[in-house]
Amino acid sequence: MVRVNRSALLYVLALGSCAFLLFQLYYYRNSGLVLFSVQQVVRSFLSAAHSCRLPVFLIDVAALNSISHNAPGHHHCNFLCSRPITAFGLNAKHWGHDVMGIFNVILSGEDPRLVGLDVSGDQVPLHLLLRRHGNIIQLVFFVERGGGFLWHGGLRLRPDQDRTFPFKHLDYGRHQGAYDRLDLVLTVLDGLDVRVPRNVTHFLLEQRHAHFLECGYRDARSFLQLYPQDLGPAALDFRRKVQTLLQISVQTLGLIQVPFWISSGTCLGWLRQCGVISYSRDVDIGVLVQDFRPEIVQVLTASGLRLKHRFGKVEDSLELSFLLDDVKLDIFFFYDDGDVMWNGGTQARTGRKFKYVFPRFSLCWTLFLELKVRVPCETLDYVRANYGDGWSVPVATWDWKTSPSNVLDNGVWPVDQWEEVIQVF
Amino acid sequence: MESWTPNPRAKPFIPRTQRSLYLSWKYKLTNRRTLRRTCQAGAVLFLVVTVIVNIKLILDTRRAANEDQAPEYEDPGGPQTPRRPVHGRRVLDIEVYSSRSKVYVAVDGTTVLEDDMREQGRGIHVIVLNQASGHVMAKRIFDTYSPHEDEAMILFLNMVTRGRVLIFTIKDEGTFHLKDSARALLKSLGSEASLGLSWRDMWTLVLRKGGQVYGEKHSKSPALSTWGDPVLLKTEVQLTASEEAECQWADTELNRRRKIFCSKVEGYGSICSCKDPAPIEFNPEPLQNNKVSNIPVAVIAGNRPNYLYRMLRSLLSAHGVNPQMITVFIDGYYEEPMDVVELFGLKGVQHTPISIKNARVSQHYKASLTASFNLHPEAEFTIVLEEDLDVSIDFFSFLSQTIHLLNQDDSLYCISAWNDQGYEHTAEDPALLYRVESMPGLGWVLKKSLYKEELEAKWPTPEKLWDWDMWVRMPEQRRGRECVIPDVSRTYHFGIIGLNMNGYFHEVYFKKHKLNTVPLVELRDVDRLKKEAYEEEVQRLLREAEVLDHSKDPCDDSFVPDSEGKTFVMFIRMDTETDTGTWTELAKCLHVWDLDVRGNHLGLWRLFRKKNHILVVATPLSPYSWRKPSSVKPIHLEPPPKEEPAAVEQM
Repeated sequence: MVRVNRSALLYVLALGSCAFLLFQLYYYRNSGLVLFSVQQVVRSFLSAAHSCRLPVFLIDVAALNSISHNAPGHHHCNFLCSRPITAFGLNAKHWGHDVMGIFNVILSGEDPRLVGLDVSGDQVPLHLLLRRHGNIIQLVFFVERGGGFLWHGGLRLRPDQDRTFPFKHLDYGRHQGAYDRLDLVLTVLDGLDVRVPRNVTHFLLEQRHAHFLECGYRDARSFLQLYPQDLGPAALDFRRKVQTLLQISVQTLGLIQVPFWISSGTCLGWLRQCGVISYSRDVDIGVLVQDFRPEIVQVLTASGLRLKHRFGKVEDSLELSFLLDDVKLDIFFFYDDGDVMWNGGTQARTGRKFKYVFPRFSLCWTLFLELKVRVPCETLDYVRANYGDGWSVPVATWDWKTSPSNVLDNGVWPVDQWEEVIQVF
Repeated sequence: MESWTPNPRAKPFIPRTQRSLYLSWKYKLTNRRTLRRTCQAGAVLFLVVTVIVNIKLILDTRRAANEDQAPEYEDPGGPQTPRRPVHGRRVLDIEVYSSRSKVYVAVDGTTVLEDDMREQGRGIHVIVLNQASGHVMAKRIFDTYSPHEDEAMILFLNMVTRGRVLIFTIKDEGTFHLKDSARALLKSLGSEASLGLSWRDMWTLVLRKGGQVYGEKHSKSPALSTWGDPVLLKTEVQLTASEEAECQWADTELNRRRKIFCSKVEGYGSICSCKDPAPIEFNPEPLQNNKVSNIPVAVIAGNRPNYLYRMLRSLLSAHGVNPQMITVFIDGYYEEPMDVVELFGLKGVQHTPISIKNARVSQHYKASLTASFNLHPEAEFTIVLEEDLDVSIDFFSFLSQTIHLLNQDDSLYCISAWNDQGYEHTAEDPALLYRVESMPGLGWVLKKSLYKEELEAKWPTPEKLWDWDMWVRMPEQRRGRECVIPDVSRTYHFGIIGLNMNGYFHEVYFKKHKLNTVPLVELRDVDRLKKEAYEEEVQRLLREAEVLDHSKDPCDDSFVPDSEGKTFVMFIRMDTETDTGTWTELAKCLHVWDLDVRGNHLGLWRLFRKKNHILVVATPLSPYSWRKPSSVKPIHLEPPPKEEPAAVEQM
């Protein structure tokens, strides 16, 4: 008797689960949930963007990677389905107020183009997050900035923001970013018309090193209140020359793909006053020694600079100095030494060598004198290593051999090498 | 089992085909009990798991669906009027004080007006409150001690929407020029004292427009030399529901902006009319081949929201305007100008005021110009306008036709829409352009390279109380360069209140300025404005010009013959740059700008008299002096012996 009952129970359960499964299928069909794939969400986003006349373009790292690795195949969904998050970009100038309504999360912030002025404008949209059926679309707003580049903001969460949102998995927004102006092409990916950067590989390369740092204008202002800027004709003239020298460096070194960053006094001027220290009399830039190319001298002299001296050799303490009119451009080459990086200095008269040691740093973009240049991301540590804790107080008399707090004696060049390692022109 | 032994208790063999599938299954299971148990347990477990997973899935999808329906976010950028809860009607306590030296108005204990400055704020103070929220929507002073101010008050009161709460109070004196029509209007609003208000009376009044009077107090002045006793009126005002205070406009983007605006401010006329509101979008015709559609327009503004409103209306009505390129720069964190900017859907930027007086204006200019070029890094130029200018219908067309000159001619440093000497009676030809040495401002184009490479870095610092425009005109900045201007101005300066401006000054120097009203004027010979070509043009004009009779009095009407369309030349005495006496006297009788020397090109002024083109040559200073026939004696006028009026600079 018991045996029969049990079997019946089993039987009822099996029937029940069948009914349940049927119901479930029905439910899914009605809600259409199963049908919403990543591709569907992207498709509806793109058509919404199209109807609002927003020329959005694909900047999703995973998708662009798959484009750069294999040509479009025959699969139904090749590029846009790898992740439930897809990132698009939009030039902010195409954004109008009237289309706000259709999107769910807009993160806005201060207008970067007005940062550093005593003004306040409307907040501008920086990121737009769209979430539908578990799929996320991130729209990143790119703003054209003074140095001829595109900028996007960082994601700053408001306290009322949804904490369940997978912010960590977004490609963009951890930091502000700087990109070259983009050339776009229209292509077909997984059956969708999508704009992508024309040079995908270049864009992906940029994306990895796009971290942008805004100059600390507020601190600079308080510094300049304490120590007002010299606005005399000589200072203005020097500022203009610094700008010219940096512009030449950006153009020529960019052309031969030698990354550089502003260093020493120039970097201090950026950090402390977002400008030029008028009594510093030179421009200092740093280059990793592995990026050294002999062409550096050729391209810089071709743009009107004169090689003034060359100290050290590629293996040790390399330093190049150029002149434009009466302003010097010093290129220091940095050597990697485990936990630290260092560059060398040489005293021409005595052949003494010096070593300037810095904690390890990575490179960030910034806007300086209306140019997009690199600075060490850990700028404060970098400057503090170089100038000590008193970096925020102007010191007009500076001796490069003794004043820096990170200078180490590094011996003397053997006399037989002097001809090679101390060349003054 | 080693060997097979038949089981005596075995059931008789029944062929398989006769048993049902179920039974055979059951048989098997019953025979293998353990296996059966596990299978059963497994099945139940499987079912339970399925059920749980399914329930979870359903819950998830429900949540996802809800997420999509309810937007999680509200646009934070838009202006939001703080709204008090309107459950149940509320009451506002209002206190109004009127006296000789002080007036104040407090709403619910908050002082919304207080004026106890000496020598200021004379007349009738009017405050408009929103009848639903109690917000102050407008504050005005009408100095009805002076003439015509009562007319302005009538205009204003008529513009205020019905239902608003109006508060009146007099400071010092407010009746000397309060005419009967204004008194009658006040009476029709509900005032009982208005007809009897007289010299130095004190008076306060609170009422709802088109509704009840909440209170009125009046104290008569006992004698001509004394003031009435101060009066303090305390009263209560019932707030109404917000729906009653709003109009029912169609729900469009434009009307949303209108609604926000109209719930905050008053005094903008038919913009907030419920039945037939004035447009806030103008859609003027685009320009063919518009070369300035991508050039940013910076509107420099202070706290004169009514001016800004008038200015933006004319700007947005000009052919070829691109509203996306317009930015209004407001000197200070004032609300009402920003409301006006948002009403028109434009971009507004507020600037922290630095320094005082003209240095403040100058710092505001610098910040605005820098911000404008920052906001539009690709732009080569910026169009600079001020909040107290009307622009002509062909303003952008004028600039589009001339802007290339700035790139092609290094001897130019601006294009301005303003002719300092272009009055109704001295400007004639909308297609004619001049080169002048002074920078007129008042609607002009600034080249980025000029600003970034020259002006920005050495711009006067905040402690220097200089007028920025005078500084830009200095030889160090001008460096021999000139501006291109039209004969008939493309802007009109309507501002009466301002740093360097008052009613008299405006009447004399700006009111009769000519503004072009002809649409799409095709400018003549634009390329002849380049340095060399212009010299040739001037030489040709001088060669062909008829010399006026220098024996006549140049201030006399008969000095210029009654012909039309002719070109005449006259020579005036000017020995050095600073010898401006004769020109100033001539300018006075011509009724043109006479406060300093403006609008000349190498000692040559060009203007119209009686529809004739007149060339005025400063002799012997001007290089064109050699054209003077030897028989002609240059005109010399002596300034009258009395004191010159103190020079006032143009704002």
